[in-house]
Amino acid sequence: MPSQPELMTTDTGKPKALADWPTLLKDNARTGGQGQHPARSPERAVWQYRAGSSVRSAPILEDGVLYVASVKGVLHAIDAATGTSKWRFQAAGQVHSTPSLSENQILFGCDNGNVYALDRHAGSKLWEARTEGEVWASPVVRRGVVFFGSADTRVHAVDAASGRTLWAQELGGRIYSTIYAADQQLYLGCGDGKVYSLDSSSGKTLWSTPTGNGIDSSPAVAGDLVLIGSEDFWFYAMNTTTGEVRWKYETGLGISSSPAVSGDLTVVGSKDGLLYGLETQTGRLRWKTTVGEVVTAPPVIGNGVVCIQAGGTFALDTATGNVVWSAALAGAVQSVPVLAEGTAYLASLSGEVYALR
Amino acid sequence: MDRRTFVKAGCIGSASLLMGLDPMLRADGDAPATPPIELRGLPDYKPSPLGMPGLFPGRVIEVRDPNSIVRNRVSQSIVRQMLEHAMRELTGEESAQAAWAEFVQPNDIVGIKINPSGAPACCSSPEIVREIIASVQSVGVPARNILVYDRYSYEMDIGSYQALLPPGVRIVGIQDAFVDSAGYDTNVYCTANFFGEWETRSYMASIVAQVVTKIINLPTMKDHSASGVTGALKNLAYGTFNNVARTHRAPHSFTNPLIGLMCTVEPLRSKAVLHIMDGLRQVWHGGPLTQVQDFIDQTGLLLVATDPVALDTVELEAIEKKRRERGAPSLWQHDPSSITADNNVFFHDAAKNLFFRQPGHVAAAGKLGLGVADLKQIDHRALSA
Repeated sequence: MPSQPELMTTDTGKPKALADWPTLLKDNARTGGQGQHPARSPERAVWQYRAGSSVRSAPILEDGVLYVASVKGVLHAIDAATGTSKWRFQAAGQVHSTPSLSENQILFGCDNGNVYALDRHAGSKLWEARTEGEVWASPVVRRGVVFFGSADTRVHAVDAASGRTLWAQELGGRIYSTIYAADQQLYLGCGDGKVYSLDSSSGKTLWSTPTGNGIDSSPAVAGDLVLIGSEDFWFYAMNTTTGEVRWKYETGLGISSSPAVSGDLTVVGSKDGLLYGLETQTGRLRWKTTVGEVVTAPPVIGNGVVCIQAGGTFALDTATGNVVWSAALAGAVQSVPVLAEGTAYLASLSGEVYALR
Repeated sequence: MDRRTFVKAGCIGSASLLMGLDPMLRADGDAPATPPIELRGLPDYKPSPLGMPGLFPGRVIEVRDPNSIVRNRVSQSIVRQMLEHAMRELTGEESAQAAWAEFVQPNDIVGIKINPSGAPACCSSPEIVREIIASVQSVGVPARNILVYDRYSYEMDIGSYQALLPPGVRIVGIQDAFVDSAGYDTNVYCTANFFGEWETRSYMASIVAQVVTKIINLPTMKDHSASGVTGALKNLAYGTFNNVARTHRAPHSFTNPLIGLMCTVEPLRSKAVLHIMDGLRQVWHGGPLTQVQDFIDQTGLLLVATDPVALDTVELEAIEKKRRERGAPSLWQHDPSSITADNNVFFHDAAKNLFFRQPGHVAAAGKLGLGVADLKQIDHRALSA
């Protein structure tokens, strides 16, 4: 059984090591490694930055630098204190992939089939790995290996230092789900409707469990459960070792949102416009709250609040699901707020990036 | 005459559209006059006999199966049967493969024009898109030569088409955001100044003008706050040309005559060879963007035609009938007291609207030679699955 608890964020603050980045936005709470910071209602904009085109992926914050990928293929490194550009990198295609960090590298996928590794301080390219389909998923890193799925239907494993391909495993459909990389196993959803577990050293399929439609959502792993949504309207909890469905919960429309997990609370959005708070071990509904017409982005669990972008930005009480505050900014349904040090960083469909305090 | 076509308010073409086909427009009192409209097609493009109204003018095949959609979930296998049945009936061929071969050849580059606006509540069903892809592949077109496309990539994202469609097929959003002209051919356009807007041209998408050789049109079945209904014609016209929102300024809209006129521009007219209307869900108020399930019936039908005017005429009648049943005003109503400027009121009150709707755009397109608009002349065949 994989060991997972170290991947959960804790109240002690963000993890120190950057080397592993095993899931979308680094941890089950989708904080991007920021730990559980209090998120109070922002009162004013500190700065505003124009990325030049839509932002469909999530910004990442590390060491005072905000990394934002715009659809037109530009990765922006922005000084989080001032909102000024530190460097920009132009990729060879559009970018929908949320970046990841590992050591001095920032990694992201591109619609031209490449995964890029850049020096996160200088913005210079270190290597690129090639696939035959667009890479919208976020590359994840575990023990020096970068894992990612591609629309070419393959899961790819490459060496984090060189970008050299270690293995590629073909699945049954397009892959837009970001992998969860545990010690020995990888977990992901696929366009063929199945949830897969692969051996991380070889790519061999350990198990696969079908759902009723394709999968766009990225899994979280909590204890011995893989948690993931499907376009068949159901949210699933599967056993990490066998793939057996432990419980499932039905929403009103398809689920492309990726769940956030903190302790015994799992939060996931549905295209029915609701955010659902479920008990992780049982799937019992604690609360559900309408936050917009459609929810496709992953929520972020902070200290006592869960934040979501769904036409606007909303913060909900994790205990009750009641809206604590909302901001009519950042309409990008695919983006994710960054909550850190009393500041909320938001990116929008129109390509604006805001720091709110 | 050069290849530019001028349609002016004072000339017979445009004047006949306004006065002969949509008399209610005059009832608005202060409705603005239609300005001169200039259309420019692709130079030297040879029209195809498969182009609108296509091989079967006036014929509309309707297949209904209530089990095709249950609690908003679409049955892939039933949709497959419905589409095969409709295609055989449309063409008279014994097999679905032979039916598709009348429209698509192995060397074609096939564009499937979906309608993701209104996703996720009502958009082109991925299950139907999958069946169209499989059908196109069945006649020898490789996956790499099949493109599923629409204007707005962010709307396609909400529909999760990228994850749900088969490997190898290209999925293309023509533009990334509202202001983005990179994906358009500046040699093919429509020019008119409707309300004093600063940009008076609408360009044809390059993917239509230059890339695909055939278009399979997959509209949804919806009312539309400005055009009355959004069907095959509007999905092609306003989903192919950019900068079209400028034709609406509440409460007025120039969707009539612009929708039909845009559909006459080559090569759009020639390449759009088949229209498959997704009527699994039917929006009878709040279209095209509503997410309010109260106004969306799960009707479970497909309509197939080569004639977009006949198809939209059948759709228009169906939406009118549904609105009558639900006690909502006619799409043809032009009562100033029904107009609201509040989107929220519009989305939740079927008696309210944002514009004086222009359902006459369908008949106007018929006058342009795009198809048959007279219900009595339409060969409407309703089948059970």
